[in-house]
Amino acid sequence: MSNQKKRSFQIEAFKHRVVVDPKYAERTWKIIEHAIHEIYNHNASGLSFEELYRNAYNMVLHKFGDKLYSGLVTTMSAHLKEISKSIEVAQGALFLEELNRKWNDHHKALQMIRDILMYMDRTYIPNTRKTPVHELGLNLWRDYIIHSGKIQSRLLSTLLELVHKERTGEVIDRGLMRNIIKMLMDLGSSVYQEDFEKPFLEVSAEFYKVESQKFIECCDCGDYLKKAEIRLNEEIERVAHYLDVKSEAKITNVVEKEMIANHMTRLVHMENSGLVNMLLDDKYEDLGKMYNLFKRVPNGLSMIRDVMTSHLRETGKQLVTDVESSKDPVEFVQRLLDERDKYDKIICQAFSNSKTFQNALNSSFEYFINLNSRSPEFISLFVDDKLRKGLKGVTEEDVEIILDKVMMLFRYLREKDVFEKYYKQHLAKRLLSGKTVCDDAERSLIVKLKTECGYQFTSKLEGMFTDMKTSEDTMQGFYANHPELADGPTLVVQVLTTGSWPTQATVTCNLPTEMATLCEKFRSHYLGTHTGRRLSWQTNMGTADIKATFGKGQKHELNVSTYQMCVLMLFNNYDMLSYKEIEQATEIPTSDLKRCLQSMACVKGKNVLRKEPMSKDIGTDDAFFVNDKFTSKFYKVKIGTVVAQKESEPEKLETRQRVEEDRKPQIEAAVVRIMKSRRVLDHNNVIAEVTKQLQSRFLANPTEIKKRIESLIEREFLERDSADRKVYRYLA
Amino acid sequence: MHKLGRGHRDKVQQFMTITGASEKIALQALKASDWHLEGAFDFFYSQPHIKSYTDTTRLEELYNRYKDPYTDMILVDGITLLCNDLQVDPQDIVMLVVSWHMKASTMCEYSKEEFFIGLQALGIDSLEKFRERIPFMRSELKDEQKFHEIYNFAFGWAKEKGQKSLALDTAIGMWQLLFAEKQWPLVDHWCQFLQARHNKAISRDTWSQLLEFARTIDPALSNYDAEGAWPYLIDEFVEYLNENGIIQNGQFSDRSQK
Repeated sequence: MSNQKKRSFQIEAFKHRVVVDPKYAERTWKIIEHAIHEIYNHNASGLSFEELYRNAYNMVLHKFGDKLYSGLVTTMSAHLKEISKSIEVAQGALFLEELNRKWNDHHKALQMIRDILMYMDRTYIPNTRKTPVHELGLNLWRDYIIHSGKIQSRLLSTLLELVHKERTGEVIDRGLMRNIIKMLMDLGSSVYQEDFEKPFLEVSAEFYKVESQKFIECCDCGDYLKKAEIRLNEEIERVAHYLDVKSEAKITNVVEKEMIANHMTRLVHMENSGLVNMLLDDKYEDLGKMYNLFKRVPNGLSMIRDVMTSHLRETGKQLVTDVESSKDPVEFVQRLLDERDKYDKIICQAFSNSKTFQNALNSSFEYFINLNSRSPEFISLFVDDKLRKGLKGVTEEDVEIILDKVMMLFRYLREKDVFEKYYKQHLAKRLLSGKTVCDDAERSLIVKLKTECGYQFTSKLEGMFTDMKTSEDTMQGFYANHPELADGPTLVVQVLTTGSWPTQATVTCNLPTEMATLCEKFRSHYLGTHTGRRLSWQTNMGTADIKATFGKGQKHELNVSTYQMCVLMLFNNYDMLSYKEIEQATEIPTSDLKRCLQSMACVKGKNVLRKEPMSKDIGTDDAFFVNDKFTSKFYKVKIGTVVAQKESEPEKLETRQRVEEDRKPQIEAAVVRIMKSRRVLDHNNVIAEVTKQLQSRFLANPTEIKKRIESLIEREFLERDSADRKVYRYLA
Repeated sequence: MHKLGRGHRDKVQQFMTITGASEKIALQALKASDWHLEGAFDFFYSQPHIKSYTDTTRLEELYNRYKDPYTDMILVDGITLLCNDLQVDPQDIVMLVVSWHMKASTMCEYSKEEFFIGLQALGIDSLEKFRERIPFMRSELKDEQKFHEIYNFAFGWAKEKGQKSLALDTAIGMWQLLFAEKQWPLVDHWCQFLQARHNKAISRDTWSQLLEFARTIDPALSNYDAEGAWPYLIDEFVEYLNENGIIQNGQFSDRSQK
């Protein structure tokens, strides 16, 4: 062990290049090459990873990277060429399978090779900027297999054929498809797109073009939509199963375009099954389908909306201008409500409650409701009918629902002031004849109107309710103060404040003595407690309940109007009375008297009087007798004439005139308000501003506005500007 | 006067004080000299026929000739006499011009003050001078601006005292008179239209706007604008013309409906 010579270790730097044995490189390469062969021949198990890695490492280290790389390229290419051939010869269905199998092999091989050559991948390749091993492997595969002349087109046509087969209902090997497509995707997105996706989309477009044409010829709209939806879902599913997720949007676009966009118009207008028919028949499902499909294409929804709007306007217009339905106002309004409910449901169920569709519905209703100038009157009559009798047995929530629906119609009206006038008239009649079934409902509606139109609209209406209540209290006070009257006829007085109730001309008549004295007592009582007021009896609006005994002893209680009472009481003293005598005694105005006599003498079941001659009309020479033979099933017989009715033509004109008159001061007030704040304003702007201000009550007529302006100029509220005659100035 | 600026108003006051002329003359003179007082004076004094000074005594005489025996005013008889003296028809439009100069408040009567103001403004203190001035007054009607003033004056003058509007018949008479000077082709149709459709008094606004209408809108109504803020009556008139085929396709065919 002990060495005599002492060696001093000195490590010297290499002074000369160590030249590796050139044969070394060749030898090492051969080892690797052989390994590659073995790998491709599925003999990899006999190889030592460590040894191969080391060899590759050494080659690179000793600057033989070039040789290694180029060797790799050559070897791999050679293998791929062979693989290509074997794929080419595969027949029929085996083609894809072979391709798939070889791809898997190559892929596995590539991984192994990459692992072996990892060092080169990490050092040599970045330095020389060559393609990394894995990518190289893919590129070579692409170039030698996929883009090989014999394979490329065959691959594409096979894939497309399979898709087509699936579309026509056959089952295909989806797993295989998925693998192949994945292979293309792995090779790069441009490969996928160029070698598959683009042609796929073109072919699909063709396919769907043909199919949609076929369908549209033989299917009705609903069926077609079903089919389109099915196809669409199919394609989405196809993508999910074996295509690149990015293809979904593209293929769905193709289907949308070919099946929907191109045939949109034809579908919508298809006879007997198009949009209009669907709307008429409440086909919620089909409508929903149409909505969902058309939503996907540009202008799809607006087309549906436009067709719906014009159809609705047309139907609405017919509804509203139909002479028959105008005969019964309640029916008229009910039909409007039904129509609105129908479309509400359609929009809710099929059109996913879209706001734009709601707006289209509203604007259509607004359009046609105002085509009939009697709409405000009819809506008021509808409410009147409901509040009189139609709400018996209806729950509180339902009442609210009906009133809310009526409010919706009210909002559509342009001439809200006309509605107000009629509503007031009808309310007055209801209140005075004691015919309101439901006080709560009345008040609820007033609140709704107030919310909609403001305090001014409803202040008078509320005043009417107050009067009714106050009158009750007054009556109590009256009888408390006059206990001696408790045995006589019962008087019920409603004291109405003139401003709140619809204006009536004051007309009195001669009351029977008993009533006259009673009324006088009331008057003095009232004026005693309320100084500075004036009372005038409105005998045309009252009612009376009188007990009558007829010839054969039959007793009845008659509910009549005040006028009728006056006439009947006369017969307590006379058996026969002529028309003239009645007229003189009662001093009832002619037309009212005639109507009153007619209702008592000429109407079957209510003929408490007998008339000679027995004609239907009242002549001035007629004679009247009590009808001793009068019979009725009921003890209480109603012969009143105060029900709110659709106005006759002359009445209608009168009301309209009054409305027009009322509008004039409103327009003037608006003009003055605007001019006061603006001081100087030109004509067109005045008209625009005034119209806008008055919009919530009625649609102001520009000509009427102009007349009002002239009147204001006349009264020196305004003047024309001296420089520009179209401009007005406010005169303080 | 309220339309003038401060400086201008002062000048007018000064001018009036110095020359004793009426406001109208002052304005005229100052405008003509572009608001230079000196120039205005030159202008004023160089006008031979506008005399600033008229003999008040002679005016007094003239007045007394025509004044009503019971009231201190010239009434219908006096006016008729005046017209006779002037050899002018009482219906002649020149009397309107005279009234305008006088700033008479109502037709068929002149107060003493009005008589004096008018004749002084015209530089008249005798009948001969009066007669001489008549052609001048007629010429004033040809002046656009003056005609405008006279026309608008006519409304207040022709209407009944205390009324706001002008009775239709009087209005029509005035229009016939005035538009004979101005030559408005539609005047007859206008009057017919009013009698057929309107039959009520004429408001001041309608009166004054009618002149604008006659001046600016051509008889074929080619430049009539329905949004032009014309009084309602005029809009109706246009409708009437269209309905009765007087205006067809923008052509005015004067089918005189006698």
